[in-house]
Amino acid sequence: MQATPRRPIAPRVLRGALLFCFSALFVLYVAGPVAWLVSSSLQSEAQITAVPPNWLPPLASLANFEAIFTAADRQVTYENRRQGDAATGGFLPSGAANLLPSLWNSLTVGIWVAVLNLLLSVTAAYAIAVIDFRGRRATLYTVLATRVVPDIALVVPLFLVIRNLGLINSLGALVVTYLAITVPFTIFILISYFEGIPRDLYRAARIDGCGHWGALRHVYLPLSLPALVAALTFAFLTSWNEFVFALVLTQNVQAQTLPIVISGFIMDFTTSFSFVNAAGVIAIIPPVLMAVVFQRYIVSGLTAGAVKG
Amino acid sequence: MARIICEQLTKRYGTTVAVDALDLTIAHGEFMVLLGPSGCGKTTTLNMIAGLEEISGGRLSFDETDVTFTPPHKREVAMVFQSYALYPNKTVRENIAFPLRLRGTPHAEIERAVEAAAAQLEIAHLLHRRPQELSGGQRQRVALGRAIVRQPSVFLMDEPLSNLDATLRLSMRSLIKRLHHGLRATFVYVTHDQAEAMTLADRIAVMRGGLIQQLDTPDAVYSHPANTFVASFLGSPPINLIEGAAESGGSFARGAFCVPMAVAVEAGRALTLGLRPEDVSAPGPGLTTIEARVELVSPLGSETHLEVLAPGDVPLTLRVPKEWRAQEGEVIAFGIDPARLHVFDRATEVRL
Repeated sequence: MQATPRRPIAPRVLRGALLFCFSALFVLYVAGPVAWLVSSSLQSEAQITAVPPNWLPPLASLANFEAIFTAADRQVTYENRRQGDAATGGFLPSGAANLLPSLWNSLTVGIWVAVLNLLLSVTAAYAIAVIDFRGRRATLYTVLATRVVPDIALVVPLFLVIRNLGLINSLGALVVTYLAITVPFTIFILISYFEGIPRDLYRAARIDGCGHWGALRHVYLPLSLPALVAALTFAFLTSWNEFVFALVLTQNVQAQTLPIVISGFIMDFTTSFSFVNAAGVIAIIPPVLMAVVFQRYIVSGLTAGAVKG
Repeated sequence: MARIICEQLTKRYGTTVAVDALDLTIAHGEFMVLLGPSGCGKTTTLNMIAGLEEISGGRLSFDETDVTFTPPHKREVAMVFQSYALYPNKTVRENIAFPLRLRGTPHAEIERAVEAAAAQLEIAHLLHRRPQELSGGQRQRVALGRAIVRQPSVFLMDEPLSNLDATLRLSMRSLIKRLHHGLRATFVYVTHDQAEAMTLADRIAVMRGGLIQQLDTPDAVYSHPANTFVASFLGSPPINLIEGAAESGGSFARGAFCVPMAVAVEAGRALTLGLRPEDVSAPGPGLTTIEARVELVSPLGSETHLEVLAPGDVPLTLRVPKEWRAQEGEVIAFGIDPARLHVFDRATEVRL
C-alpha cells in the first residue's frame, strides 16, 4: 500500500481554516445587522441604548409589536409625546398609525407588480425569443435602452406626468412606475432562459398541435419555472424596497408604502429605536417568507433529457 | 390520404438561397427520402413541408389543399426529430398522449391509443418514466410513438437515427420500415446516410445546393446516377472517378489507361469515367481486361477491398470476392464490362 503523501495536508488544513474564517466573516457581515434588528425589536428603548449593548434581549418582550398593532387606537399629539421619554420608551412616532396601512399598501403594490410583471414579460420575452418577426432585435434593444436612464433623472418628469393624470397618491401610479423598472430586466432574463430551451421542443409542440399560446403554456412556462420564480421574487422585492419614486409619488397614508413610513420614524423629533426596529422586523417578514416558499422551485436541471443524450 | 405537392418551393435567408424553386410531388403512401450532405437544403425543405419554416416563394399543397401559409399545428403532420425533442417535464405516457390531448380526444380513447402505440414500439414498460431516464434508442421509440398515435397521413422525419449507435440504427431502420408498411402513410425522411436512403426509400431525391440533383428509385439512382455528384454520394466504398478524354474509336483514355465505352462520344471531349468498385470480375469474353498492381488489401470477411494502381497511374478501389486472395505488390488482371461504366461530361458533370 502506498502511503499518502504527508506534505499536502498542512496547506489543505490552512485552506480550510481560511475558508472558514472568511465564510464566518461574511455571514457576520450579512446576518449581523438582521440579527441585531430582530434582537433589538424584542428589547425596550432603555435596553437597546444600554452600554455595553445587550446582544440577546434580557427580557424578551413583544411590547414593541403590541405598540405597532395598537398604534391606530392611540392619538399622538405634541402633548402626550412630551410625556413619553425616549430613553424609557413609551412614546410613539407621529406616523406610527400609518405603519399597518402602509404595510398593506406595500403588499398590494408588490403583488400587483409581481403578477403583472410576469404577464407582460413572459409574453414579450416569448415573442422576442421564439417568433421570428421583423425588428425583433431592435425591440429588445429599445426595451433595454429604457433602463440606461438613471431613475433619479426620471423622478421629476414622471411626477409631472402622474400628477397631470391625477394619479398622485394612488397605488396604481406606483404599480405602473415599478413595472417600468422591472419589465425590461425581466424580459431580458427570460429571453436568455427561453433561448436556452431546445428549439426542437418548440417545433415538436407546434407539430403536435400547439399554437403560440400552447407552446408557451406547454413548453416554455413549465421548463422555465426557476426563471419565472426568480422574476416573481425580483419584481416583488424591487417594489417592496423602492424608495425614491414612492417618496415623490405618494404623499399620505392612502398610498404611502412601508419604506416611506419607516424612514419617517427616524426623521421624527426623537427616534424610537424600539419601535423602528420592530417595524423593521415586520418589513422583512414578507420577503423572507417569499424566499423560504420559493427557494425549492429554483432548481436547475429541468431540461435534462429533453434532447440528445 | 395525402399527396404532397411542392411547386417552385423556395426558401431564402437574406440573400442566401437555401432551397431553390423545388418541384416535387410525393405520392400518397410513398416513402420519400431527401438525401444530401449538410447544407443541401433537405432539412429546410422538410421544415417547409412541416410549416416550421416560412415559405419564401412557390406553393405547397397537400392533395388539393393549399397549405403554403397554414401554421404547423393546422397541417396535421407528425414529425420525428434527430434530437428526439421529448418534453422533459412529461412522462413517456404524457409525451405520447400530448398530441391527442391537444385535440380534445376523450380520455379513454387516448389511453387506448397510447397503450396500442406503446405495445407496437415495445415501450409499454416505460410509460411511467421520464425522458431523462431513457436510453437514446428508447427515446426515439417514444418520439415515434408520439408521431404514430395521431395516425396522421404525413410523417416527417429529420435524421431520426443519426444520434443512435450503429447496431441500434439497423434495428430502428427496420422498425421504421415496418411502421411504413403498417401505416401506409406518406413518409418524408431526411438523411445524409446513403444506406438509410437505399434501404428505406421508395424514391430518393438527392439534393445539393438547394436543388434536386436526381429523383428516382434507389436502384435507378445507384445504377444510373445523373451526374458525378450523385454517383459519388451513393456507394460504399465510393465510386472511382477518373478524369480523362474520349479518343477516336469510342474509348476513354487517360495516359496509358484506355477502356472502350458503350456510349458514343466525339473524340477529344473531356470526360469523367465512373467505375463502381463492385463492377469488376474475372477477365472474360466481352470484358475489357486491365492489369493493375495491388497496393493495399483490406479483407472484410465477406468480401475484400483492394486498392490498386492501374496503368497510367490511375488509382482504383475494387470490391472483390474474398476468394481472390490478392497479395500486396502482386499484379492482378480483372475484367470491366463497358456497359457498366458511367460516363460523365467533365465540364457539366452530367451523365452521357
